Amino acid sequence: MAASADQVRQAMPFTTRYPELGTGPVDVRPMIDPELFEQERERIFGQAWLYVARAEELAEPGDYKLRRLDVANTSVIIVRDKSGEIHAFHNICTHRGNKLIPEQDAQSLGRAETHSFTCRFHAWTFNTDGTLRGVARQESFADLDKSCLGLKRIHCAEWEGFIFINLAEQPRQNLVDYLDGMAGHFAGYPYHEATLRFRYSAVLNCNWKVALYAFSEAYHVPTIHKGTFPSLAKLEHTEIKCFGPHSTSGIYVPPVPGLEPTPVTANLGGRLRTSERHRPHLELLPENINRDKRGDFQFEFPVFFPNFLLHLGAGNGYPGMAYFTHQFWPISVDSTLWEGTNFFRPPETVSERIAIAHINALHRNAWLEDTSTMEDTYQALASGVLEDMVLMDEELMIRNTHKHWHDYMGI
Amino acid sequence: MLPEQFSSLEPFAGVWAFPTELQRSQQRWVATAEEYREFYEAMLPLLDEVLVYLDQYQPGATPESVLPLYHLALAFAEAAPHNELYDCSNTVPNSFDAHRFVAAHGENLDR
Repeated sequence: MAASADQVRQAMPFTTRYPELGTGPVDVRPMIDPELFEQERERIFGQAWLYVARAEELAEPGDYKLRRLDVANTSVIIVRDKSGEIHAFHNICTHRGNKLIPEQDAQSLGRAETHSFTCRFHAWTFNTDGTLRGVARQESFADLDKSCLGLKRIHCAEWEGFIFINLAEQPRQNLVDYLDGMAGHFAGYPYHEATLRFRYSAVLNCNWKVALYAFSEAYHVPTIHKGTFPSLAKLEHTEIKCFGPHSTSGIYVPPVPGLEPTPVTANLGGRLRTSERHRPHLELLPENINRDKRGDFQFEFPVFFPNFLLHLGAGNGYPGMAYFTHQFWPISVDSTLWEGTNFFRPPETVSERIAIAHINALHRNAWLEDTSTMEDTYQALASGVLEDMVLMDEELMIRNTHKHWHDYMGI
Repeated sequence: MLPEQFSSLEPFAGVWAFPTELQRSQQRWVATAEEYREFYEAMLPLLDEVLVYLDQYQPGATPESVLPLYHLALAFAEAAPHNELYDCSNTVPNSFDAHRFVAAHGENLDR
């Protein structure tokens, strides 16, 4: 017997709220087709705003971050100039095209001591605002106009201390318009206070959307995380909302009777829970996050299109952890650089530092569980056997990303 | 050498007390169930005392002579989930290859 409309609404409260996203299966081809991957370079990553740095990473004038972007075959310098303004440039000397700063890794931080960068090929020197400062033996160039030979600029904007770039010649929207309702939804939390960062990375042999989608739902939690977080068996994934190509949701975990924290976690996590600095600060959450002020709130669980997740817990979900981020950087159709970062307020005591190491280790281990399925999923999908995937109600954020992926791609 | 009141932990310092997360992880990846058990049983009863001792100093200002104890405490904080959740296995069950998982924040965090 077919379910009544009321029964459907009850079982699928989020899917029924967004009828424009449909209820049908979504196609697998975008995750495995090398030609579509080539088009994504321009149509997705060449158009969307991409998170690349935290303002605290560039705390002082002269501080810079170098970020490899394989998907755009470039690397980007994000730098705070002498006056404090942040700029982004392609990492290329405008003379003969050498990398202005040698890459050490997918991302690295540095300080331009004299507020300038000097190319190690022929010693052309650029100011941190991108202007060309000095050319060795300038008189030997015919009609050299230094004002036309500044660094190649990339659009760059900051929101809540998150620095984004846009590789388009002329972005279709400014950053705040692009972020849509997410800009207000996440605004106001003191992200800048959480300056202790633990970043993990792995090159996953899978398409970037396989990794993104695995982190876009909590349906997997009771199975994948039964090792590290048995307390999450009754997790609630709710309040799913879409804002244009982005989406967000809340994760709550009602206490499980009889399940006590293990001794070391009770000791070390307890220290963070009871310290004024690291305790849960639900009062600092933006007003539309955990609106009902539930004590069992874990973290806000969003997708910022195309490749950025900002999980805001305010020290409640994982003791002491202010927030954590994920990014999925495509390298090729079947290879993705995943980066996950845990952000804490810096410890005031050594024992807090050790407690933070414990919470960080637990979360790192959970990420090892998360990443365990992705290569298997990709290999199986790449067989082409499954043409599309069915999605349940709480996999709605995947549905939303997928629809907007199609819109960006024009297919 | 550990401070005198922690001399019972001395045998573990040589095995676990490394300054970098990578070195400590390399020990976690090879430790036997027995090594996990012995470390946990020796360390847990002294944990509060170790932390009180370390809290004499500000973060980042731990004197050179006390660093082995600090590194041992970090190693314990990172190793304990193997005892408490993974049955003293040196891998996280059903997980991605930990060797391919890079602690990209580097080591400037730890002192």
